[in-house]
Amino acid sequence: MSYTRRGVLGSLAGGASGAVAGCLGRSRDPPEDGSAVTGTPEPTPGSQTSDEPLVDLGVPCTGPEGVVDLSGGRPATEFERAAATPTAEYADGEIPLRETALHLGHELTKLADHDMSGGVNHDGIPSIDAPRFARGDEIELPGCARVFGVDLDGDVRAYPQRILVRHEIVNDVIGGEPVAVTYCPLTGTAQGFYRGGVEFGVSGQLVNSNLVMWDRHRDVRWSQVAATAFEVGDQRGSDDGGLLGRSLREFRLFWTTWNRWLSRHPDTLVMTEETGLARNYNRDPYGSYGPPVSGHYAPGEPRRPNFPLLTYDEADEKRVVVGARTPDGAVAFDKRALMESSVLTGAIGDTPVVAVADRELAVGYVYANPEGVEVEPDGDEYAVDGRTAPPDGLPLDRLDAFDAMWFAWYGFYPDTDRVGI
Amino acid sequence: MVRVLSGHRPGGDLTMPAGEDTGRRKPPPPRTAPIGWLGSLFARTGVAVRGALGRRDGRAVLLAATGLYLGTYLWALRHLTLSGTGGVDVFIVDDPVRTALIRRSPFLFEPVAVVEAGAIVYLLSPVNVAIGLALGLLVGATLAVSVVSWRGPDACRIGAGAGTTAGLPGLLSGVACCGPQLLVVIGAQASAGLVAALQWMVPLAVASLVGTLLWVGSRVRIDPA
Repeated sequence: MSYTRRGVLGSLAGGASGAVAGCLGRSRDPPEDGSAVTGTPEPTPGSQTSDEPLVDLGVPCTGPEGVVDLSGGRPATEFERAAATPTAEYADGEIPLRETALHLGHELTKLADHDMSGGVNHDGIPSIDAPRFARGDEIELPGCARVFGVDLDGDVRAYPQRILVRHEIVNDVIGGEPVAVTYCPLTGTAQGFYRGGVEFGVSGQLVNSNLVMWDRHRDVRWSQVAATAFEVGDQRGSDDGGLLGRSLREFRLFWTTWNRWLSRHPDTLVMTEETGLARNYNRDPYGSYGPPVSGHYAPGEPRRPNFPLLTYDEADEKRVVVGARTPDGAVAFDKRALMESSVLTGAIGDTPVVAVADRELAVGYVYANPEGVEVEPDGDEYAVDGRTAPPDGLPLDRLDAFDAMWFAWYGFYPDTDRVGI
Repeated sequence: MVRVLSGHRPGGDLTMPAGEDTGRRKPPPPRTAPIGWLGSLFARTGVAVRGALGRRDGRAVLLAATGLYLGTYLWALRHLTLSGTGGVDVFIVDDPVRTALIRRSPFLFEPVAVVEAGAIVYLLSPVNVAIGLALGLLVGATLAVSVVSWRGPDACRIGAGAGTTAGLPGLLSGVACCGPQLLVVIGAQASAGLVAALQWMVPLAVASLVGTLLWVGSRVRIDPA
């Protein structure tokens, strides 16, 4: 794919160059300290005394705005350290699935009954099917810019939220595996799925205000949060492929900021704005994660979410939770509480679970803890049963987990265990 | 009596029928078979539009109204925004012709270029420009006839705002373009009916604009020159 972008990204007047507020989607004067690639680090949790709301990260982010330059880029196959060619063989239409379907908080038919149009056609919001990347040191992003990071077998990439908000799905190959990187702005959910021999697209439908993906091979509808197939096209009950009720295999997408991700992974690749589509990536149509946070993302918004919910809980609907679900049930931890206390415990069904904070990335991990072993913070790591382990490597069974707005999690899992909510 | 001077065209002056000097009156009832009456209505409207556009003020109104409507329509689509970075940037997709015909929602088509200049960011979608232009011309023609009538020797009160009002659905169609974004902005609760209704805004705009134009035309009597 060739591109014909001619950019004069330099200044038009005396150095007051295109300082787009990547976090704000609005043009602002650049900070005097210049580029934000190595911008001011975010304050450590607890050091913030301003009124900055602790929204999606559970900790403040008050780094400077800065120049955004996500131009250029090349296919991941051109980077030596990226495993961007599939190593696994999948038949056309084959999807890697979980052996046991995930728990659903509602009957499958109820999801189908509440599947409603969001106002666009199939692929009305176009996925990115040929992503292009640059090295982290080749791009410029403000420190607070939200990115969705992934590390699959050492293949490390970041997908800027400012791009994903316009596309919601990237069909990519990471670590040799065909995958879908997905993001639903309305529910604040970023999730990774193995896709095997299919491509996913945005169906234009919503369930619980949440993205419904369609598998372009056979038009099976997959709920993003539930990670489960609930409908085949518009044919209720039709299930030629035997996929209804089956769940996708997932991998972790880290919802974090550019500063934090780059500090952890200086060698990361970053998806660029060279998507092949004409879009305005300077503006988030739903609001801004800021700072300051605004629009749909703002906490304390008095109005209910715009699209109908299967179940609704009044408790601070926009708060962010770290949720996990297994075939046996679901659990949600208030993210702010987790970041403040580092360790929280809950249960999925009869199984105890423990959540720990990774304060450097501002993310949480959830582990099954059937023996109820003691987990204690130990600096940036955790002491577990006499051993020390990093937050992502506790000697326990790590569960698929992701961040979500509370209203969305409760909409899908009204029977969820709730911790700090 | 309102006289719209037809300027450059033979075919006579446009006048209001006697006793029809106020916009509060209903248009004259059909006096012939419906098809004949409709044909006559279109013909009279055509003459009224040609007459209005034969005058400089009529043309000025047409151009201004069309331009304003088109700009507002593109803003409603979010194809025209003030979100630029201060630089100059142009991006054109690989296959503009094929891309231009990709339909994303009932009346939203794929842009083929991004033009960024200073604070302005413009997404060029040729089909949406054509839709906006067509709606704008209907608004402009209606306003041109109305304004020219207003400027006649006797005010006939056709109602210059009619065209603008009729064009409102077209603008609303713009905000129906992008799935839930409008609802997020205005805080409306979505329902299947509302989402479906938003998708009918462009046809509704066309119907209401044509209806308004014919209504304006029906109020004009053509006096033989």
